[in-house]
Amino acid sequence: MCAGRPPINMPTMTLRAPSDSGSVAIETRGLGKAFGPRMALDGVDLLVPSGVAFGFLGPNGAGKTTLIRLLLGLAKPTRGTIRVLGHAVPETRAAALGRVGAIIEEPRFHPHLSGRENLRVHAAARDPDAHGRIGASLARVGLAAHADARVKTYSLGMRQRLGVARCLLSEPELLILDEPLNGLDPAGIREMRELIRELVDEGRTVLLSSHLLDEVEKTCDVAAIVDDGKVVAQGTIHELLNGGARAIEIVCHGPAEVASLLAAVPGVTRAADHEGAIRVTLGEDAPVDREIVTALLRRLLEHGVEVERIAPAATSLEERFLTMTTRLGDRG
Amino acid sequence: MLDLRLISAEVLKLRRRRGMLALAALLTLGVALLMFAVAGIQHTGDPARYRAAGGVIGYDDTAYVLTMMATVIGVIVGATAGTQDIESGVFRDLAATGRSRLALFAARVTGAWAVVLSILAVTMAATAVLSVALAGAGHAPDVGMVVARTTGVLVAGALSSAMAVGLSALVGSRGPVIGVLLAFFLAVQALLLNIGFLGAARQGIPAVAIDRIADVHARGGVHVALATAIIAVIAWGVAALGLGAWKTKTREI
Repeated sequence: MCAGRPPINMPTMTLRAPSDSGSVAIETRGLGKAFGPRMALDGVDLLVPSGVAFGFLGPNGAGKTTLIRLLLGLAKPTRGTIRVLGHAVPETRAAALGRVGAIIEEPRFHPHLSGRENLRVHAAARDPDAHGRIGASLARVGLAAHADARVKTYSLGMRQRLGVARCLLSEPELLILDEPLNGLDPAGIREMRELIRELVDEGRTVLLSSHLLDEVEKTCDVAAIVDDGKVVAQGTIHELLNGGARAIEIVCHGPAEVASLLAAVPGVTRAADHEGAIRVTLGEDAPVDREIVTALLRRLLEHGVEVERIAPAATSLEERFLTMTTRLGDRG
Repeated sequence: MLDLRLISAEVLKLRRRRGMLALAALLTLGVALLMFAVAGIQHTGDPARYRAAGGVIGYDDTAYVLTMMATVIGVIVGATAGTQDIESGVFRDLAATGRSRLALFAARVTGAWAVVLSILAVTMAATAVLSVALAGAGHAPDVGMVVARTTGVLVAGALSSAMAVGLSALVGSRGPVIGVLLAFFLAVQALLLNIGFLGAARQGIPAVAIDRIADVHARGGVHVALATAIIAVIAWGVAALGLGAWKTKTREI
C-alpha cells in the first residue's frame, strides 16, 4: 500500500521540508489551542501530502477533533499556523475550504428533511454547480433509493454515507472525515474503505480520523498519532509499523515472575504478558538478535522455565499506537 | 450578502415544518375566518343587534387581532429559523464550507420574513376581501385603511421575526426565546405603556410604533410621529439582529 508514496519521517526525527507545499494538502506548524489553562493542542506540526489517505489516530481527548475544527476555521488557534490546500486558515478560509468536504464528529442533518433536501441545503452554501452534483453524490454512496426519505428514518450508517455524499458536493480536493466508520456494519465498513480508496485513486486527499486502528492500517497510506495534544509519530504506515522497537515473543511454562526475570536481562526495556505469551521489548542498545535471544533463553533455563516457542513479534498499528500513547503508561 | 440560493434553502427548511406552518395558518387565516364566521352568524340571527361581519368595524377589529397574531407567528417562525441549524448541528457543516457566517445569518432572517410575510399577506388580502364582501349596509374599508392596517400587520410580523432570529441566534436555543418574546409582546409592553413616569420613552415601545404605522388609535395615550415610529421599529430590529449576527460570527463550533 505504501509503494510509490513519498516517505514522511517522524516529526521527532527528520521532518520533510515544509517548503514542499506544492504536494502538501495540509500543513500546520507549532499549532496550539488552549481552552482556559488546558492546552488541547500543543505545538502540532502536521504534514499531510496530497493524494493520499491519511490516518489521524489518537485516544479520546487527544485533540483530534480540536485539530479538525481548527483546520476548518471553526475555532481560532491560540498560536501557530495552518495552511489548507495552500491557503492560510483562518485568514483565507473561504478560498481554502471551497474544495474541502468534511464530516466533523458524527454527520448532522435536518431530521425533518429528506436526504436529497439536506443536500440541497448544503449545496446552496457551495459553488453554483454543487446543486447539479446531488444526484451523482447520492448514487455514489448508495443512497439514491432512499434519497427522498426523511433523514430521521435513516440508520447511523446511512447518515454516515449521506455525510460523505455531502462532502462530494464540492468536488473536493481534500476530504476530512472524522470517524466515518462509526455505525457501519462490516459490509458497510468495507464499502466505505473501498470508497475512500477510490477517492484517493482519483487524486483526492482524504484525512481520516478514526479509533478503528485496523481499518486505518488497511485504508491509509500515511498516518499520524496524536496524544495529549501533540503529534507523537507521523509517517507511512510501513514506517510506523517498522519504526518501533524490536520485540520478541516467548511462549513458555514457568513461574508467574517470568516476565520480571526477562525484564532484568540487559538490553530489555520491558517484558509483559501479551495474548498468552510474553512480549519482550528491546531497547536501542540491545545486542543483535543472536546474542539477545541466547541471553533470554539462558536466563529462562537457569530458572527452570520450559520454553515452547520464541519468535520475533509482528507489530500491528494498534500495538504501535498503544506503545506511543499515554494510555499504555496509565496501564503500567 | 444576500444570496438567493441560501434564502431558498432557508425557506425550504421552514416550509417542510408542516406542523409549524399549520399552526401559523391557524393563528392568522384561521382566526380571521373564525372572526368573520362568528360575526356573520350573529348578524344573520339578529341583524338589529349585531353589525355586519365586514365593513370598516369588522376589518378594524380583525386587523387588530391579526397584529397580535402576527407577532406570535413571527416569534415562532423567527426563533425556528434562528436556531434550526444550531440545534440540528448542521451549522458547523455549513460554516465549514467557508461561506461567510454573516451570509448564513442573513439568509435566516430573509427566509423567516419570506415565510411570515407570505402568510400574513394572504391573510390580510382575505380579510380585506371579506370585509368588503360582508360590509352589508355599512361602509367598506377604503384603500388607505387597508394599506395602513396591512402595513401594520406586516411590520409587526417582520419585527417580531427579526427579533426572534437575532435573539435565538444569540442564545442558541428556541424555547426560551419564544417564551421571553411572547411575554414581551403580549404582556410586558402593555405594562410599560401604563407606567406613566416613563414619559416620552414609551414612544420607543414596539406596539406604540406599530399602532402609529397602522394608523390606529394610540394605545395608552402615547402619541408618536410616524418617523419616530419607523426609527423605533428599525432600532429594535437592528439591535436584536446585531446581537445575533455578532454571536453567529464569533461562535466557536
